Order: sequence, then structure tokens, then C-alpha cells
Amino acid sequence: MTREVDVIIIGGGATGAGVARDCALRGIKSLLIERGDIATGATGRNHGLLHSGARYAVTDRESAEECIKENMILRRIASHCVEQTDGLFISLPEDGLEFQAKFIDSCRAAGIRADAIDPKEALLLEPSANPEMIGAVRVPDGAVDPFRLTTANLIDAKLNGAEVLTYHKVEDFIRNQNRIEGVVVRDMHTNELKELRAQIVVNAGGIWGHDLAAKAGVTVKMLPAKGSLLIFGHRVNNVVINRCRKPADADILVPGDTISLIGTTSSKVPFNEVDNMYVTADEVDLLLREGTKLAPSLAHTRILRAYAGVRPLVASDDDPSGRSVSRGIVLLDHATRDGLEGFITITGGKLMTYRLMAEWTTDLICKKLNIKKKCKTAELKLPGSRQKEERLSKRLHTIPTAQRESVINRHGDMVERVNMGDAAHRSLVCECEEVTVGEVKYALNELDVRNLVDLRRRTRVGMGTCQGELCACRAAGIMAEAGKYCSQRAKQDLADFLNERWKGMAPVAWGDTLRESQFTTWLYDGICGLKNEKKI
Amino acid sequence: MRFDTVIIGGGLAGLICGIHLSKRGQRCAIISSGQSALHFSSGSLDLLGTLPNSEEVESPVQALTALAEQAPNHPYARFDAERFVTLANKGAELLREAGIDVIGSAEKNHYRLTPTGAMKPTWLTFGGYVHSASPEELEWKSVALFNAEGFLDFYPQFLADEMRRKGTKCNVHTFNLPELEILRQNPTEMRSANIARIFDNEATLNELANQIASRIGDEQAVLLPAFMGINSQGNLKYLMHKLNRPVAVVATLPPSVPGLQVQTLLRRYFQELGGTYMLGDTAQGYQATQDKISALYTRNHGDIALKADNYVLATGSFFSGGLVATNTEVYEPLFKVDVCYDSEREKWYDRDLFQAQGYEEFGIATTPTFNAQRAGQPIENLYAVGAALAGFNAVKQGCGAGVSILTAIEVAEQILSKM
Repeated sequence: MTREVDVIIIGGGATGAGVARDCALRGIKSLLIERGDIATGATGRNHGLLHSGARYAVTDRESAEECIKENMILRRIASHCVEQTDGLFISLPEDGLEFQAKFIDSCRAAGIRADAIDPKEALLLEPSANPEMIGAVRVPDGAVDPFRLTTANLIDAKLNGAEVLTYHKVEDFIRNQNRIEGVVVRDMHTNELKELRAQIVVNAGGIWGHDLAAKAGVTVKMLPAKGSLLIFGHRVNNVVINRCRKPADADILVPGDTISLIGTTSSKVPFNEVDNMYVTADEVDLLLREGTKLAPSLAHTRILRAYAGVRPLVASDDDPSGRSVSRGIVLLDHATRDGLEGFITITGGKLMTYRLMAEWTTDLICKKLNIKKKCKTAELKLPGSRQKEERLSKRLHTIPTAQRESVINRHGDMVERVNMGDAAHRSLVCECEEVTVGEVKYALNELDVRNLVDLRRRTRVGMGTCQGELCACRAAGIMAEAGKYCSQRAKQDLADFLNERWKGMAPVAWGDTLRESQFTTWLYDGICGLKNEKKI
Repeated sequence: MRFDTVIIGGGLAGLICGIHLSKRGQRCAIISSGQSALHFSSGSLDLLGTLPNSEEVESPVQALTALAEQAPNHPYARFDAERFVTLANKGAELLREAGIDVIGSAEKNHYRLTPTGAMKPTWLTFGGYVHSASPEELEWKSVALFNAEGFLDFYPQFLADEMRRKGTKCNVHTFNLPELEILRQNPTEMRSANIARIFDNEATLNELANQIASRIGDEQAVLLPAFMGINSQGNLKYLMHKLNRPVAVVATLPPSVPGLQVQTLLRRYFQELGGTYMLGDTAQGYQATQDKISALYTRNHGDIALKADNYVLATGSFFSGGLVATNTEVYEPLFKVDVCYDSEREKWYDRDLFQAQGYEEFGIATTPTFNAQRAGQPIENLYAVGAALAGFNAVKQGCGAGVSILTAIEVAEQILSKM
């Protein structure tokens, strides 16, 4: 089977999705390939912090400026993915106040609003912050939901002609002399191999881009840096809390939906670990120790789970040792760099700058294809963010408040595609996160869901305090009923989902988290007799 | 307040212990916070289903020697075969006296049908539940399986497909009733215990019978989720009579309606025997002299002490709060008695949720007579029973209910023997 498009994008993270959208809006026919589900790499495994740029103001002016610009753009184009919480940079007695003055100056120089406020005022703004603080600066930080953001980009890309293939892995590149002409992909479900051709192939594979580049015959030296985070069982803070000092481990606490997140640790890991990372007991202890300095109540807040992501740090081209690392956006035109036509790598950067990365990439694609169209992604709002929440809320006034707010919060104006017309569709699948049968069916029908873990990324099923105890089984039933798979596969999917949850719970399984997982074991292993046939 | 024995915990172990003591004339009190593992019952009570080496058990009695070799700290390792059978039979007898209809024996396991269609070895099954002598087949060659429309805590296709594999044809249907429409108006009401309530009304039950009758053909039996009435008994018999064929139930996701009923029946029997059941109360403190507990204090009774000759901890494991884990230790929260656990946190878990987890075997360390200890010294009048005990994996070995019942009776007899 051979297909031809203008551009093939490898990687379903925010960057890949952003490139697909940008291409689509400029009339370029693209196909996005992702070996698993969307937003499963670094995109979905970070703080979900809408950086103001303040964190980089002192050490990296360029990143800071990019952040604040993109921050303002995302507030406008992705309002349903963003929470405008603001952020505090607090100085603790051990930090002193010297850094603060320099910090404020640097922020302002980068165009970031930064107001020093009295610690008492800071505590009124964010009562969970450490009352020992001796100084506080308020900045326009926020929270961003990376799953929603990636989904919205892909919805818009598809609406404008792009295609998306999840669960397709690139096995090889089709090479003709010094030109990449396409890829050979494996359908991860059927094992079938397909040839896909395009004029340009974009490597947006995050840390996996290292191996992809090698497969294409060029070298992009990346260094996998593991960052671990903890999710707390409820929303401890409403304002992002940072430490006012040079960036270090575990110094950002971000609220998101119903939870709060602390992170990150930072350590180099070998490439053979990036596909399956476990958070260690030492990392958990470090995150807790530092986290309680930001918000003391974390010491007795239930931890829901721990997880880790890999930042794709890119070694500078002029330093073969790999010690000098670029933290900015890295766009490589392999034609000029390596003499390989038809291949582009976009990497480095951060979730905050995904749109800018996509813009640069698409500009380069346009140049190569001789297309003269301007980027519109900074102006055109994403699907979901095109109508005001108040208006949506009014239209759905018959739906119970908690459900209404949750579904609007998750899908913005795409809520109009969710059937909540009758009692059966309003019935709750997930009580923690108020996910209805109607919302689950919408995700199954329209959002490329292949299994329960995908469904969780689209709807938050199983992300609440019970971590998927009853909702997982209910959702598996609905998926099997909708013909997504047979009952045999539904059971293995259920086991996979529970094990995916357990992977995050095990590092923090004490207190209520242990109680919850003991209950899960009683229920699924004991009462249901569910078995896991896959090796972990 | 003065009692002969105070039992902390009102689940299966606490109630069985209290019933056995009360029958022999003791004045007993049970302090119960309310919920217990019975609320998540499978519809069966397991005695011993699988050995630690994963070998499935046909006869719990005959597997006892192998168990003691593989798991020397298992509570059962303290019983010889004769004692084991005596205790098990005594347990079954007490359940029947309380009005709980159970089938099965300690000599030979039978199999229960799980909600996902698996067959698991078990000891006693509550009346009305689907069960079989063999894991390979069911009693019937064709069945009609009915679920309530929109009830998500029971997925019939899992069962239908597995039953087909065992040679039983299964036709799946859904039913709807006006009473269900009312429940559905609230998005969280379509749960087993709420649905069960509508069948306490005979007219509703009759309407269900009519609907089923109009939909079935020559299937040999009718199967339903286990939500057929909560305060009423005999609903299945009524349906059997109306439909003129066997009617049986399969467990749903929690809450377990039959589990709630069993808890109620046991509690009622305990109270009929003169026991005091303090529902919604929690033990909070105690007084001790040297090696004995002399008084217990609860949240509801404030400074009024509960005094007794003997005290029994039937507080369950982590889920029920009988054991507490922090990131550095595992402890028993009331008396701080000795607990067996691994001090290295990473050894508490296996990365596969479906493998045996180290923490499941953590629990209260006891003497051969189930006395709790502090710093290795036995406390003469404090005993531990059931899920709080160390040395076994209730889920993997399929022995949770058995350990609760057998140790409860054993401790009751220890206490009686001191009189």
C-alpha cells in the first residue's frame, strides 16, 4: 500500500500536532504518524505549566522572551486548555532576597510583568504557600492541559484536511540517493507494513527523534534527561508557586484541574530506559522534601501518583562531546546541514513553544515547497476555544452543574458534539471526574481512541482519586459495546489500564493510595478474576 | 461499661467471633465503624483456592501440608487437618444458623462464576449464585442473561463470551422498568444497591418476571446481576416459580448486595444472642497494666471506658484501617502492637499489579494462640483475627474469608477455654 502526501510528520506530541495544524491551515496536505497515542512523550509528562518565562528570565533571556510571547498567544487561541492562575516566586529564608531584585529586572527586560508583593499579600493570594517566605513576586504564570492542547491542534488539522495515524511506528525511511521520499510504517495493531510517500518528512519525535535521525542516516545527538513529578490528590494551590532562585529540582507547584503537581527532578538516563521509566523512592522523597518547602500542607496531602518524562536535550552541533546543551528550539534542515534532501528535524524547545516550533518548521516546509502563505496559528483560535464558556454554560443549563462545568472545561465549545440529551447519556462513568456516557462515546467516535489509556487522555476517566477503580470496568464495557474491540481484548485492555495506573501509584503506595490499590486488587483480581497476560 | 469480650471491628471475623462467644453465654460488644470487606463480596467465601506456588487447590484440607511448607507463617499453618475441618465446618454452621444459605465444603472446592466470566475455586457460595462443580462447564447448556438497561456495573458480554467457550449458549437481553427511569434521572443512582431496592416491591418484581417471560424461549435458566432485592428474601424463588426454571445471579461491581445482606443477617443474629453492636463507633484509646489491656475508649463513648476480660482486634488490613502504611513504616494504629513488614519500601510492591504484592502479607505478628505482642512480649488478653494478621495473601491464595472465619472461631475458643 502506497500513499502520497506533501508532508509526513513523525510524532504525535504537541510539536507534531502543531506542525500538522499549521500545514493544514496553509493548504499543505500532511499525514501525522504516531507510534502510540498522542501526547504520550514529553508533551504529556511535564508540569502542564503555562510558563510566563520568569523561570528563565535570569539565566536564558531568549527562552524567557519566547515563553511570554507564546503565553499570551495561548491564552487567546487555546483558552479552553489554559487556566489563568498567575504565579508566585517566593523567597524562603534559606534563599535570601538577593536573587529577587535581579529576577524582577530580568523579567521586566524580557517583557514579563513581575510585581514584588508583600508576603502577607502573597499569602492572601495563595494561602497554601509557605508562610515563612520573606519575599514574593507575582508573574503571569498559568496552567495548560497538554492533552487538550494536542487534541485541539489535531482536531483543527483534521478539519482542514490533515490525516492522523496513531499506533503506527516508523520502521524505515524510503531513501532515493540523497533524498528521503517517505517512510515504511508498521501498524502496531495488525503488524501490517505500509509505505507512505511525501515530498518532505518532518522528524518531530522528541527524544525518539535521536533514533529516527539515525535511521534516516544523519546524526542528531540528544541527551535524555529524566524529570519525575508527583500528583497530589486535590488542588492544594490555585496559584502556581515557584522558588525565587536559580532553577533547581522540585521547585514548581502547579494546579491543574482537580489536582496539584510538584516537579521535577533531573537526571541523565540511558536511551534504553526512555520507553519505560520508573520513579524511584529517592526521587519521591526528594520531591516531597522540596515540595513541602513551597506548600507545607503537602506533607499530609495524599499523593495520587508519580510519573516521569524525558526532555530531549540537544547537543550543540559544534560540540561533539555533547556537554554543551542547547535549551532553545532546534530546527535542522538536513539538506543544508547533511546534504540529505526532504528531511527536517524539529526538537529542543518546550511545550510552551510548541506553536512557534511548528511555525518555524512550516515556514521551512513552505520555502522548500515554494509556497508563499503566512502562518495563521497565532491568530486563529483552536476548536474548543471559539466560544465563551458562559455562553456554552447557558445553553446546557439543564445538565447538572458539576457535569456541565467538567465537560465544558474539558472540551470547550466542542461540547456541542457531546450527546447529553437523555438520562442514559448523562449517566456517570467516572464519578471522581464527572465523565458521562455521552462524553465517553464522543471521545470513542471522534478523538482517535484505541484503548482505555487513550480514553483517559481525552476525558480524564480514571484520573481522579480512585485511579480508575470502577470507571475502568464501566468504560471497557462501553468500548466493547461500541465495537472498539471484542470482550477478550477488552479484558486485557482493562488489565493494561490498571497496570498503567499502578505504575504511577506503586512509587507512592502508602496511606490512602495503598488502601485504594488494595481495593483494586480485591476487586479485579479477587472478585472479577481478571488476569494480565502481558509481561511487565 | 462491662463486657466479657470487646471485639474491635464488625466485619466477617468480628461478627463470627462475637456470635460464637455469645452463643456460649459471653457478654460481647462489637465496635464497628460501619463498612467492611463484606460490602465487596464476590458472593462466595474462599477457604483456600491457590497455593503460593500458583498450584490450584482442589481440596483445601488436603492442601494444608503443602501450604504450611510453602508459607510457614500462614495463619492456617497453626492448624492440623482435623482442627482445620472442625473450624471450617463450625463456621459454615454458624452462617446457616444466622439464616445465610450457603453451599460447599472444606473437603472439596467448587467454582464460582466471576463477573468477567472466569471460574474461581471457592468454599461456600451464597444461595442463588451461579456455581459449578467443574471449572470447565456450567450446569446448563443454554441460558438467558438479563441486565438492567444503562446499568454499567455489570457487563454481560464478558460472561456471554466465556460461557460460550464453556459450551453454554448465552442470550443477552436488557430490561427496563419505570422505577429505573426514576433512578436514571440522577446520574449516580444506577448502582447495584439502589436498583436492588426497587425489587423489594412485589409489583416491580412481578413486572420484571413478565418482561423476562415474554423474552425467553427454551433456555434452561435465567441469569441476572446480583441486585434482586435488599430487604426481601426469596425473590429468586418467586422468579423461579413464575418462569418455571432455575434463576441465578452473578456478582456485580461493588457494592455487593448479597454481601450487605450477609452482614445484616450476621449482625442481627449477634444481637439476638444478646450482643451489643456499636455501629458507627471507633476505638480510639486504651488503658493497660503491664501485660494486659484493662479498658478501651471509643469516639462515641468519650471517657466512658469499655472494660472486658478479653479484647479482639478484628480491624482488617490497610483498606479497613486495621493497618496503616506511611512512607517509612507499617503500624497497627490502636495498640501499636508488633507488625511484620519489610523495612525497604521498594520490596512492598511488584511492578505487575496482578502479581502477589509484598504488602499483602504484612500484618499483626501473633503468638501461636493469636495473642498480639509488643516488643515480642505477648499481651495476655489481646487477640488478633482475620485480615489484620500477617503471613498470607488473601487474594492470590483465595483464603481471605477462610482466615477470617477460622481464626475468629479459634480465638473465641481460646477465650472460652480460659474461663
